[in-house]
Amino acid sequence: MPTETDRLNANKLDYQEVLRDVARMMVRLKRPDRLLKIITRFIDRQFGLTHTSLLVLDPRKKRYVFVNSKGSKRLPVSLVKFDVDHPMVQWFSGFKQKQPFQKEFLFLSDVKKMLSRAEYRLASNSKADQLAGIQKAMQTLKAELIVPGYFKDTLVGVLMLGRRVNGRCFTKQEVTFFQTLAHDCSMAVKTAEYNQSLVEQNQELARRLEEIERMRSKEQKTYYEIMRSLAEEVHAKEPNIFGHVSEVERLGLMTAREMGIDLSGKTKDLLSAALILHDVGKIGIPDSVLSKPGRLTPEEWKIMKTHVEKGARILEPLTDFKKVREIILSHHERFDGSGYPRGLKGDQISIEARIISVVDSFHAIVSSRCYREGRSLDFAIHEIRNCAGTQFDPVVVDAFLRALKKELQKKGEIPRSLLEYAAG
Amino acid sequence: MMKKLLIVDDEVEICEFLKSFFEDRDYRVAVAHDGVMAFEQVGIFKPDVVLLDIQMPGLDGLQALKKIKEKYPKMKVIMVTAVETQEKIEEAMRLGADNYITKPLSLEYLEKDVQDKIELLAKGV
Repeated sequence: MPTETDRLNANKLDYQEVLRDVARMMVRLKRPDRLLKIITRFIDRQFGLTHTSLLVLDPRKKRYVFVNSKGSKRLPVSLVKFDVDHPMVQWFSGFKQKQPFQKEFLFLSDVKKMLSRAEYRLASNSKADQLAGIQKAMQTLKAELIVPGYFKDTLVGVLMLGRRVNGRCFTKQEVTFFQTLAHDCSMAVKTAEYNQSLVEQNQELARRLEEIERMRSKEQKTYYEIMRSLAEEVHAKEPNIFGHVSEVERLGLMTAREMGIDLSGKTKDLLSAALILHDVGKIGIPDSVLSKPGRLTPEEWKIMKTHVEKGARILEPLTDFKKVREIILSHHERFDGSGYPRGLKGDQISIEARIISVVDSFHAIVSSRCYREGRSLDFAIHEIRNCAGTQFDPVVVDAFLRALKKELQKKGEIPRSLLEYAAG
Repeated sequence: MMKKLLIVDDEVEICEFLKSFFEDRDYRVAVAHDGVMAFEQVGIFKPDVVLLDIQMPGLDGLQALKKIKEKYPKMKVIMVTAVETQEKIEEAMRLGADNYITKPLSLEYLEKDVQDKIELLAKGV
C-alpha cells in the first residue's frame, strides 16, 4: 500500500520543469495573454486552493482589475478594481526603491503580525494604514498570500491566492515558485501590450499613408485634368484641327490593340495620357509661329521643335507620369535616328512614342492646316507606308494600317491604297 | 435594525461575491438575477438599498428602476453599469436613481456609498 510520503512524492512538482514549460510557452504563444489563463489554471489544479486570482494593471485607466480567477471560491472577473492609490498597490509599488530588504510577497498572517508590532503601530502611521488596508482587502477577497509581479520597476500585476483546501501551509520553495510565475505573468502582460501597441502603430501608419496617397492622387488627377484641357486649348489655337487630340488618342489605342499590347489598367491610362498630351508643350510656342500661315523659317522651326522638351517639363510635377514624360519627349524621334531632340533610334524610342509618331503624322496629313488643305486618305496612307523603316517603325505602321483597314471595312469604304496594301 | 440590501445582477458569481462581501459587513442580503425577480424581491424582502445592474436580459435595470421607484419612492437604488453610456446614466438619474457606479468598481467606494444611503434613510431623507 502506498504511504502518505509516496503519494506526496508522486504529486511532487518538478518546479524547474514547469518554469521551463512556461518560458517555452511564452515564446511560442502568439497571444501572451493566453498564458495568464494557463498559469492561473495550472496553479489552481496543482495546489488545490480555494481560489487563484490574477490582478493586472490596465495602464490606460491607471487601475488594477482581476482578469482571471479559478477555484471554488473564485472571484468574478472585471467586477473589482484597485486604483493606483490603493494601499496594496502603494505598498508593492514603492517596493524596489524603498524597502529593498523586505520580502516581495505578503501572507495574511504576516500582515496581522506586523500590524500588532509596535514598530509599525508607532513608527510610521502611513505604513500602518497601508497594512490595515491590505489586511482588509485580503480578508475581503479571501486571500492568504499575495505575490506581486513587476516589469522593470512597474507593478504589473498581483497574484492573489486563497487557502489550500487541505489546510496545509505554503512552503518556501512554493512561494519562490509563485514569485517566478508572477514575474512571468508580468512579462506576458507587457509583451501583449507591446504587441498591441505595435499593431496600433502600424494601423495608424497605414491609415496616414493611405490618406497621403489619397491626397496625392487627388492632386495629380486635378493636375492631369488641367493638362488635358490645356492640350485641347493648344489645338484649338490651330484652327481646323479641333478634335485632333481625341482622334489621335483613338487611333493610337487602336494601333496598340492591333499590336497585341495589353491595354488593361495602367498601361492604357499611360498610353492615353501620352496620346492626349503629346503636344501640350505647344502652349509655350508663340502664336506667331504656331499659327503661322505658310512655311516656317529655319529659325521658327527651331522654336517649334522645342515643344517636345517644353511638354516634358510641364509634366514634371506629375510623378505618376514619368513614363508619359519620356514618351512625349520622344514622339518626334525617327526610327532611323534622324529625329529630334535626342536622335534616338529603333528600340531606343519607346513603343508608345513610335505609335504616337505614326498616328500623329497620319492625322496631320489628313487634317487641314493653316497653310494647306487636308490631303486624301490615299495620300496619307501612301505617305505613311513610304516612311516605314525610315521615319516610322515598320511594325507599328503595319499594325496601324491593318487596324485602319478593319475600321474602314466596317464602314464599307476601303480606299484603294489599303486594298493594294493588303494584297501586297 | 439590520441593514437590508438587494443585489440584482444576471451574473450569479457577481451576486454571490457581493452577497458574501456585505454579509461580512453585517447586512442582510437578498439577490435577484433579472428585473422581474428584482421587483418581486423588493415587495417581499423590503430592502433599504438596491444595487441594480443596468444590462440584464428581459426586464432590464432601467425598467426595473422605474417600477421600483413608482411603488417605493423612498427606497434607495444604486445603478451598476459595465459600460459608461451617458444616455443610460442620464435616463437612470431621471427615473430617480440615487447614484450610479461603473464596473469594475472599488469595493471601498461601493461599501461607503451603500452605507451613505442607509444613513440618509435613517435621517428620513
